[in-house]
Formats: sequence, C-alpha cells, structure tokens
Amino acid sequence: MSDPHDRQFLEITRRQVLEAGTIVAVSGMLPVAAQAQASSSQLAPENGVTVQVRFQINGQPSVLEIDARASLLDMLRERLGLVGAKKGCDHGQCGACTVHIDGRRVASCLTLAAKIDGRDVTTIEGVGSADTLHPMQQAFIDHDALQCGYCTPGQIMAAIACVKEGHASTPEEIREYMSGNICRCGAYVGIVAAIEQAAPQIERG
Amino acid sequence: MTQEQTADRPRVDAYEKVLGRALYAADQPIAGLLHGMTVPATIAKGRIEAIDLTAATNVRGVVRIFTHDDFSQIKTTPAARGAYGRPSKGYQPMTGPIVRHRGEPVALVVAETLEAAIEGAEAVKVRYAEEAFSAAMEDDRASREPEPESQLSSGDAETAFATASHRIDVEYLHPQQHHNPIELISTTAAFEDGELRIYEGTQAASAFAGGLAGMMGMDPTRLRGVSPYTGGGFGQKNGIQEQSVLVASAAILLRRPVKLVMPRGQLFHTASYRPRSRHRVRLGADEQGRLLAGLYETVQQNSRYDGFGCEHGANPPRMYGYGAWLGSDRIVRVDTQTPGHQRAPHEHPSSYATECAMDELAEAVGMDPVELRIANDAQRDPITGKPFSSRHLADCLRRGAELFDWNRRSREPGALVAENGDLIGLGVACGSYKGSMTPAVTTLRLFASGRCEIATSGHEMGQGIRSVIAAELIDVLGVDPEKLDIRIGDTGHAPQHVTAGSWGTGSAAPAARSAAVKLREELNLLTGSALSEEPIHLQLARTRRPVLEVTVNTIPLGKDAQVIEQLRRGIPSTTGPEYPEFMAFSWIAHFAEVHLEASTGRVRVKRVVSVADCGRVMNRRTAESQVRGGVIWGIGAALREVGETDPRFGGVLNNDLAEYVVPVNADIGAIDVDFIDQPDFKLNPSGVKGLGEVAMVGATAAVVNAVYNATGRRIRHLPIRIEDLL
Ligand code: FES
Ligand code: FES
Repeated sequence: MSDPHDRQFLEITRRQVLEAGTIVAVSGMLPVAAQAQASSSQLAPENGVTVQVRFQINGQPSVLEIDARASLLDMLRERLGLVGAKKGCDHGQCGACTVHIDGRRVASCLTLAAKIDGRDVTTIEGVGSADTLHPMQQAFIDHDALQCGYCTPGQIMAAIACVKEGHASTPEEIREYMSGNICRCGAYVGIVAAIEQAAPQIERG
Repeated sequence: MTQEQTADRPRVDAYEKVLGRALYAADQPIAGLLHGMTVPATIAKGRIEAIDLTAATNVRGVVRIFTHDDFSQIKTTPAARGAYGRPSKGYQPMTGPIVRHRGEPVALVVAETLEAAIEGAEAVKVRYAEEAFSAAMEDDRASREPEPESQLSSGDAETAFATASHRIDVEYLHPQQHHNPIELISTTAAFEDGELRIYEGTQAASAFAGGLAGMMGMDPTRLRGVSPYTGGGFGQKNGIQEQSVLVASAAILLRRPVKLVMPRGQLFHTASYRPRSRHRVRLGADEQGRLLAGLYETVQQNSRYDGFGCEHGANPPRMYGYGAWLGSDRIVRVDTQTPGHQRAPHEHPSSYATECAMDELAEAVGMDPVELRIANDAQRDPITGKPFSSRHLADCLRRGAELFDWNRRSREPGALVAENGDLIGLGVACGSYKGSMTPAVTTLRLFASGRCEIATSGHEMGQGIRSVIAAELIDVLGVDPEKLDIRIGDTGHAPQHVTAGSWGTGSAAPAARSAAVKLREELNLLTGSALSEEPIHLQLARTRRPVLEVTVNTIPLGKDAQVIEQLRRGIPSTTGPEYPEFMAFSWIAHFAEVHLEASTGRVRVKRVVSVADCGRVMNRRTAESQVRGGVIWGIGAALREVGETDPRFGGVLNNDLAEYVVPVNADIGAIDVDFIDQPDFKLNPSGVKGLGEVAMVGATAAVVNAVYNATGRRIRHLPIRIEDLL
C-alpha cells in the first residue's frame, strides 16, 4: 500500500492500541468508532455525474438528484430506503427486484434510475397494507407460496402483472409467464396455486 | 397438551414477507453507511507482485482501498472459511500477497456510494506472478490423499460379491454444483451500543461472531452476530465467508459502518459449493434379490487447504439389509476454491449413485424396483447392529406406490406412451438423513397482557423454524400466534448453534416445548392449583404478576452439560446418527414420472410423489413446502445444474443465473407430498426427526430411473441433457 494517508492511518491505530493497552488494534478502537458513526450524516452525497428525476413512487410525487450510474434498484434501496425489492443477481436473471413502472413489470436492476423521470413506480411497499392485504398477498400466505421470502416481493409484483397482462388463464400459462422469477427454495407449486386463487379477484376488482 | 398431529397453520412470518417488510442483512437501516466492493483475483494460483491504486483512488467518492498490506494481522484460525474447525486448515484471502484460487478478493474498495465503489474496484490494477495449478481432479497435478477419509465395513463383502448370482458394477459421476440462494451474501459491520454488530445472513451467528473475534484478536463479548432473516442458506451460509472479516476490519479501521453485497459472479468463487465426486458401486444379490454384498468407493474433489470431509459412505449401508458391506471415501486436492456442505452434502450424491445402481440390480434380477427395496428392508443397521429409533421406509414405499399409481409401470422401457407421442417413464428411489439434535439455551417470557417472548437458538432461512417454535408454544400454552415474539439468529438474545444438518426442528422444537412445560409448572406453583382451560395469561394475571420468565437448557440425547458451554463459545456439538441404544434417520420414498419428447430429447418431470417419515410433522403446510423444495433441488440436479470449471483458468465459467441453470416455474409439474407422521419419542420429547435434507435425498435418482424407464438408456452422469438422449 503506497498511499501516505493509509500509513498515517495505520500509525494512528497503533498508537491508540498502545494507549489502550490492548493486544490488537481493533478492540481498542470500538468506542471511538461508535462515536464516529453516531455523528455521521444520514445520506451520503452523490459523487458521480448527477441527474434530477421527478417521478411518482407508490403514489407519492418525488424529486431526487441521483447518480447517473445508479440502477433503479440501488436507488430504491440505498437512497429511498425502500428495501422490499431485493437484489438476487443484478443482471436481470432472477426477478427478485421486480417492480412496476406505469403498471408494467420490470427488473429494476436493469433499469437506470435516470429513466424513471416522469414515470409512476410501484414497489411491494405500495401494494396492500397491514390492515388490508392485496388478494395476491393473501393468496401467497394461503398457499404457502414462499419459504425464505427473499424472492417473494418480486414474485408478488410479477404475479399481479401476470394477471393484469391476461397471462393467468391456465396453470401452464402461469408457469410460463412466471418463469422470469426464480425461487431457489422451490415454492413454485404454491405460487401457481396462489395466482389461480387471486386472479379472479384481481380481474373483478 | 397432547402433541397435535399435522397442524396446518400459515407460516408465522408469511405476513411480513408478503408485505416486503421482513428485513434481511442488507436491508438494515444504518446511518452513514459506506459501501464496499471487492476486486477478484484473475489468476488461479500465484503471488501478487504489485497493486496499482492510482486510478481507483482518483474515483470520486472512494474513501479507502484495502489490500493485503492492511489485513496482515488477521489470523487464519479453525473458524476461517474451509477450515471446518480443523487447525492448520482453511484460508483467509488478503492476509498476504498470495492467491490460492481464482476469484478470491485481492482488494476491497470502500466508497461513499455503491456506484463509486464499483467504479473504484474496476479501476484497481493488479500484477501477478502466476504459478502452475490444477483445477480438475482428473488432472495430473491433482493430489490424491493417501488415506481414505472414512471406511465402513461389515462381513466379507469381496467374497460375498464374487459369489453372488446377480452382480452390478457401475460408476456414477456427480458434478460440481452451487447453492445459489437468491439472497446474495452480504456483510454489514456497524457500531451500535458500544459493540461491533455484524449483520450477515448466516446459519451460525455465534460461531460467526466468535470466529470473527478470534480472527481479529478481539474480545468476543464486544462483537454481536446478527442473522436476521436469511434468504435461503442450503449450507452455503453455515460459516464465516471470505468477505466477512474483511468488511468487519474495514469498518473498524475507517470508524464507519461498511456494507458489502458480494456480486453473484464472485460468490461462485468465494462461497462454498458441492464438489465433484465419482462413485463406484458394486451390488451382489442372490436369485431372490436378497442383497448379499455392497461395495462402494468414492472420490471427491477438494481444495488444497480445506478440511471438508468426504463422507459419501455414511448412509448407503443403512438403507437396506446388506449381508456384507465395504466402503471407502477419498479426497483429491486441486487448486480451486474451497467446497462445503450443500443440502444433503453427501447423502444426495451417494443416494444418486446407489439408488440408480439399485434400479440396475432390479432389472438384472427381474424384480420390480419397489418390491426389491421392500424385500431388503432392514430393522437393524448392518454396520453397528443397532436397531433404528424408527423406520417406516417400507410404508413410505407402499403409500407412495399407491398415490402414484405405480402399477401402471411396465418393466419394458418405452412401453408407456402419452397421447401426444411423448415417452413416459416412471422411476422410484429412496433416501435417508441422520436424525440429529443440538443444545439450546432458551428464555421464555409470558406477560399478563398475553404477549409471549421466546429467545432461543435457531436461524430462519425459509425452512420454517419460527413456525415450529410457534407450534410448540401454541400446543403447550395455547398462546395467540399474533402475540408471539420469536428472537432467534442473534447472539444478543441467546447463544446460536449453527442451523444445518436438518437438526433445526429436532433442536428448536424440544427447546421451545421444554421451556413451555417449565413455564406451566412455575405458574402451577404460583396459582397453587392445576391450570384450567382459561387462556394462560389470564391465569397469570390473577397471580398479580406482570410477567413470568423461565430459562431452560436443553441437552440433546447422549450429551452432557458441557455442550452448553460449547454452545456459548460458538462451537458446534451435534448428535447422531448413532446413539447409545439405536441409530436415528429420517426416511423418504420418491416416485417420478417423466415425459420425453422423442424427437428433441426434452425431458419434463410431470409429477412427483414423495412420502416421508420425519417423525412428528410440526406444521403440515410448511413441511409440504420443504419437501417440494427438496424435490425441486433433486430435479435441478438431475436435469439442469452443473458448475463448469475451465481447466485452463481454474474458474467457474457459468458463474451467473443465466448460465448456471436452476429450475424455474415452467420446469415444475405436480409434486404431491405425504407423511407417515409417526412421532419418534425415543429421540426427543417433541417426537421429531428432520426433514429439510431428506426431502432431496433420492429425488434425483427417481428422475434418472424414470428416464431409463422411458428410454432404456442408463446415463451415469449428471445433469442428463438433451444430447445424452438423442
Ligand atoms: S436482481 Fe434484478 S433480476 Fe435479479
Ligand atoms: S422463497 Fe426463498 S427464494 Fe423464493
């Protein structure tokens, strides 16, 4: 390591260790580190080229200055604290990050955050509420269409879209149109049953 | 308080999960969080000559770049990745200028934002001096261990085999596979309440926290391991990851919280996987199909420094009443990343090889494969001579055959044809998994308001351990599931034993049950009379106490109080399959129906029927899900999954979910599950054995045997692909 900053940093840690009388650096540094964390700010400043986006998120109008490199998934999770959408691959291969843009399902990891300007974004946090579950959420519980639950927000967003697209008329069709969402726990049988249960309710609603 | 059979309730955490409110390790709201990104090694073996950080340091937002210079103080201990508790094994990257496998981290970039960390990591330039290596166990430079890892025998198997009327001598090859839970492995180190808190979706919070403290030379009481919800584990998260200590040390050196979400492409090289293995199976039977001899030799790939054992031979001799047995398991060392436990780590590959060989034997003898298995049913373990605590394998076979309509199967391959011309094949296979338990320290609090809090050992990774704990509390205390607060996976609440090996239920259920029973007893003492049918918290309220608390240590069968001390230090102590009086296993029979499109060779698994003997079923709904999940893993292994290593470069070529193909929804047909549901009280007071792994054992063989029944072709490697069937 050639950076002089690092050398200086290491020396500080060694001195502190000696002062604290502990054997290894780390134990002595804990209280200091805890203070440093407590005083740091809530949100990191964006440090790349930034762009401003105006959009609706779960029905709320929002304006945000974002890093032009950011994916929609990272913006939702790291900037907005909406952690329902999950990262399972970051390559559009697993579906765990599925959200709706203007009512259509997308892989938010493959969507640049800058592209949502003027659009309407819905995440799992905007579906159902603690008092009233969405029929698809209830159906997932009824059919135990989840195990670890990590793929579940993406499955539910995809499932609602699958019904709205008109691709839920037979179990075979559901299986085909839900195959972009991997469930490694293997809850597929329950997922198909849940969609069959919820589809007529969603279509009526 | 009778043990209710096959309760069917919603999963207790389903509500949070469908609302997207369940917080996993990478979801924790932490102020001032920095983001990390690792730089993976691009050689398989050698030395780091120089690292040029100029460009990376200039990326705006990069706070600091760590290399081996910064982490040389980190100690490689028996807790390091790949050590499996053995001293002098294991390996922690970035503690020196060496590379022992492709893809290991050689630098860690920490930045104010994730975007800056990623850009910084891409700008780090490393110069290496490469060394010769071997990435395949068939390679000349691979080193075969001189002594076998394990050997089981009974009787003179060689002679019995040589004189048997029917003999099978076959070799099956099992490929490398990767767990790929959908949750990426993430590590977040933060300072809270004067302690260092590490959030990682681990299956072993205490071993993790204690192990990290040891590697960093830290007082273990200052470090808290938190595994909130785990987004699938399957064995990949049962130890310290290569990244864990790097992130923890970076946070300490920077005095800021740091989060690293390891990209999947890197996880294929840093996280564990199921190693490649070869299995030679010899079976000898008499005219009536009675098994006179089994001989079973396996070799399994391992890294140069890894302590992960080769134990394929442990289960097969227990499956049937072999007259004589001889087994040996051996390791071959190569220069790849370190393998480890993946769902039914040895039981799955060994059941694949031996249960396919049983199908070959059935054909040679001219017997129905179900009948052959029932005819060789055993009530005692051929190796130790001990009886089984419970064994309903023959019932699993009989019930499964009926549910599946097995009688339509023809011995003649290709005899059944679907309306659309597809060839239909039917196959059967069985499996077993040891009945195992671990200690726990459980604190249970009942409040007069009706709230009930329990802190115990266990990690929720989707298997439903919270639902199991809830089931016992509901059963014994009649508490309202909505008012239950279950605190697991956090060393701040209770010591956490590693949750793996299908011992979760067998450990958590008796722990919750005995705490609940003790709480009733204490309340009884307070009220001075027998408890009534009235809700229990109202009876507590009448004693004018706001809360009643009990703490119970559960010590598994055959162990002593010392295991509680080990538990507190994060050292695993498990039991089984051998106990003083008996052997304990869960059992399963799988039946598979495949349809083969003859012109393209495409195989579809239309239907599977699985009947399990896992002792008492704690929650029918979650148990069925667990079995379906295991069957899907079996289908994936049969038809889809293989980690392709490039012998020229030593890396996994297909290191993402588009190229490492796991089953998707369209691959899965009907999976019907049933249970024997007979409690095994010899093992524990909850009457449970285990389910998560036995669910998978034998499932692959059932599919492979069905492919044979459809085509007449014995494919002795996995996965079976279109090119094998054209
Ligand atoms: S994280 Fe977006 S598809 Fe996997
Ligand atoms: S529930 Fe675990 S990945 Fe789907």
